[in-house]
Amino acid sequence: MKRLRQTIRKVVLMIVGLLLLLIVFGAVSVTTQGNRWFSSAANTYLRDRKTAAIPGSILDRRGVVLASTDDEGRRTYHPDEKVRKACVHVVGDRENNVGFGAESFMANYLYGFNTPYIRQVVAMLRGEKLLGNHVMLSIDGEVSAKIANVFPQGKKGAVVVMNYQTGEIIALLSFPNFDPDNITYTIKNDPARPFWNNATRWLSAPGSTFKVVTLASTLRNMKGCQERLFKCTGVIDFKSNQMRDANQVVHGVITLRDAFKESCNVTFGNLALELGDRKLKRTAKAFGIGDHFLFSDLVVENSSYPKNARTNKQLAWTGVGQDALALTPMHMCMIASAVANDGVMMEPKLLLKAVDENGKVRADLEPHTVKKPLSKEEADIISDFMREAILSGTGMKANVPGQRICGKTGSAQVDGQAETNAWFIGFIDEESIPYAICVAVMDVGGGGLVAAPVAGEIFKILFDFQ
Amino acid sequence: MDNKHKRSNHSLVATITLFIVSCFVLLLLKELTLQSVMMLALVPGGFYFLSTFIPQKFSVDGLLLTLVNFLCCIGIIVLYRMNPQYGVNQAINFLAGFLAMILCMLGIRYIEAFKLFRIPFTMACIAVMLAPVLIGKEIHGAKAWLTLGRFSVQPSELVKVGLVLVNGYLLSKRKLLVSITFSAIMLLLLLLQKDMGTALLYYAVALMMMYVSTGSLSFFLAGVVGATGTVVVGYQLLKRIGFAHLSRRVTAWLSPWHTYQDEGYQTVQSLLAIVNGGLFGLGLGAGNASNIPVREADSIFPFMVNEFGMIFGVCLILIYTVIFVRGIGIALRARQKFFSLIALGCSVFIGFQVFVIIGGNINLIPITGVTLPFISYGGTSLLSSLCIVGVLQGVEWVNRTQMALDARMAYCRED
Repeated sequence: MKRLRQTIRKVVLMIVGLLLLLIVFGAVSVTTQGNRWFSSAANTYLRDRKTAAIPGSILDRRGVVLASTDDEGRRTYHPDEKVRKACVHVVGDRENNVGFGAESFMANYLYGFNTPYIRQVVAMLRGEKLLGNHVMLSIDGEVSAKIANVFPQGKKGAVVVMNYQTGEIIALLSFPNFDPDNITYTIKNDPARPFWNNATRWLSAPGSTFKVVTLASTLRNMKGCQERLFKCTGVIDFKSNQMRDANQVVHGVITLRDAFKESCNVTFGNLALELGDRKLKRTAKAFGIGDHFLFSDLVVENSSYPKNARTNKQLAWTGVGQDALALTPMHMCMIASAVANDGVMMEPKLLLKAVDENGKVRADLEPHTVKKPLSKEEADIISDFMREAILSGTGMKANVPGQRICGKTGSAQVDGQAETNAWFIGFIDEESIPYAICVAVMDVGGGGLVAAPVAGEIFKILFDFQ
Repeated sequence: MDNKHKRSNHSLVATITLFIVSCFVLLLLKELTLQSVMMLALVPGGFYFLSTFIPQKFSVDGLLLTLVNFLCCIGIIVLYRMNPQYGVNQAINFLAGFLAMILCMLGIRYIEAFKLFRIPFTMACIAVMLAPVLIGKEIHGAKAWLTLGRFSVQPSELVKVGLVLVNGYLLSKRKLLVSITFSAIMLLLLLLQKDMGTALLYYAVALMMMYVSTGSLSFFLAGVVGATGTVVVGYQLLKRIGFAHLSRRVTAWLSPWHTYQDEGYQTVQSLLAIVNGGLFGLGLGAGNASNIPVREADSIFPFMVNEFGMIFGVCLILIYTVIFVRGIGIALRARQKFFSLIALGCSVFIGFQVFVIIGGNINLIPITGVTLPFISYGGTSLLSSLCIVGVLQGVEWVNRTQMALDARMAYCRED
């Protein structure tokens, strides 16, 4: 009987453990994902609540009203169609067609769910409508509209501009976009999916912009790689296909720095093979690839590194940003911002502050570090290489004379597309203008030809606004 | 000391009675009918009477009884709020279940008779479990129901006590192999009924009882690993041969938000009900969880959290934990292996069932059609849960009788 009782005590631990696990699991999932559930399109309750509260306004970082409620309770948006369209994926729309726009994802503030309980009850008993908080976003409506203007007309893609020191998002655009004041049947059934936010939810191979990650892994794992000479024969031959450089160029004997600035596929393919899958994957993981992103202000799809047990061919293609790599433009912008910010990756933020009807600040921006993928030295070397790519490499078209701009282009091949996707990531290496950007244009051609000039224009816009 | 204990329990009973009264007053304000006035009078009164009178008459665990009555009354309140007819039915079910509980208590007190009927009893258990496989009716994808005229009965609920008694008897006689065979037959019949949740429950209870009686950790681990392996392999096989509702539930578990309009609907609506409720809930009668499927049975937990709040949900889980620990206390105090084992089996039944259903509601594990003990709507479910408590209380009665006897003998010796 004594032994029996001892065993019974173990059973108690197990079952009580399971019951407490319920509480812990429930608490953790509600705190980390509760707001995502609450503001999702599945929550019909949110729609009911819109009749019980007068939602607050949405302002941009300069205080310009992007969305507000008029006296009749109708939601109105910015008077200029260009600004409306440029900000629509961040702000959202009346019907919640955009999955996680501020209109739904910040409902907690806008609809006054954060109002103290007692006041909610009092308002209900008096039959008054609750007043929601006004929300100030970090984006700039005017800058967004100008960026939309320089983006190739009629193309799909995305642009992200963020402050790499604080993580504030200055502009986040997805193309094609739509006018929230004029949602037609054609827009709803457009196969190009204008409601979908390509900046945060489009997962794709980032092409050569990923060489930043391969380079980081090389700097970390290969001693003396900067002095070493590499040999580009113009081709790596795999049985089923061949990896070549753009325009069949043969670089010959080349340093790491030149290979990066010329975006030499052969050298980076060989580097990936030499590093091996494990090391490259570890560096990718350090940049957040494969992480479960649970940012407080926006929903970003999780990026992924290809699965294990792969052939050399797949590994080499991963090293140049192809194969089954899947990243969002938002995440590529975060990678660029980590290089710019001495190796520290900041959490992207959209909410500058929320203010209630009495002018009391209910929420404030708190910069938050996501990861620290690089040391300062590594970040400086990569910045230097990226600077070189702008001055005399593939990214020359993004250059703005007289400014310290760093960047990397990419041209990603995607099955079933005639042209490559054009990518550009970069940043302004200047303490007072701390912006990192990512430009992605689908199905148009090379990154150096299409994305880099767009990036150059965006940099000019950013300088003008300082 | 005993007297003091009784008094503290009394204040608990009074507080709960007040809670029940205020709930019914709230419901009455919403809709003033003769029925709601009667419920306001009868439910709190009944609770007070049953929670104070029974511990006086029988020597049983008063706290355990009070908490169980409390949960049953909460169930009646919530069901009455959903649909007054459900509440009235559940109140009647509760009374019937309470009687069954007392019968079980008496049955355990005079258990000697059971040993005479053990073989017919075992056969009856198997026969009852076999019935739905042959002539059952399919509800929510599981073929676990029998219809007798106007009533539907779920035999797997009724046989719970049987499983515990038969296994307890066999294991106390060290007939491990017979016990394994009996449990395996039960499990097989449950799988044929396509009732995965209950099968998991039966497996856990039988495994725990065997683990405790043998004391062998490797036996237990083998059982856990074997079950996990069987589930993984079996799932791949069964997916191909017509357990469609099973594979749908797994999809719903892994990615409920991607399938929130079909497979994931129940899970997503449950999670939404919980976050919409917030910490303090929207208030009884003011909730918005009317979209959750089977909210009177499987999904009653999220429905309650929606109206009473997350803090209440946590308290509810803690109340179940206390009930489980009290049951284990009874098992630890028992003098004979048989009593100890059946008390353990009963406690695990309650504790693990709570884990399986609430875990399903909050998407920790795939959702199954198991009920929340004492609260979910349904006569059979409530009856079986109360019978399980009856068995526990019966063992406690035996324990206390024996302890009183010991005390008297020690007194005589000192004399």
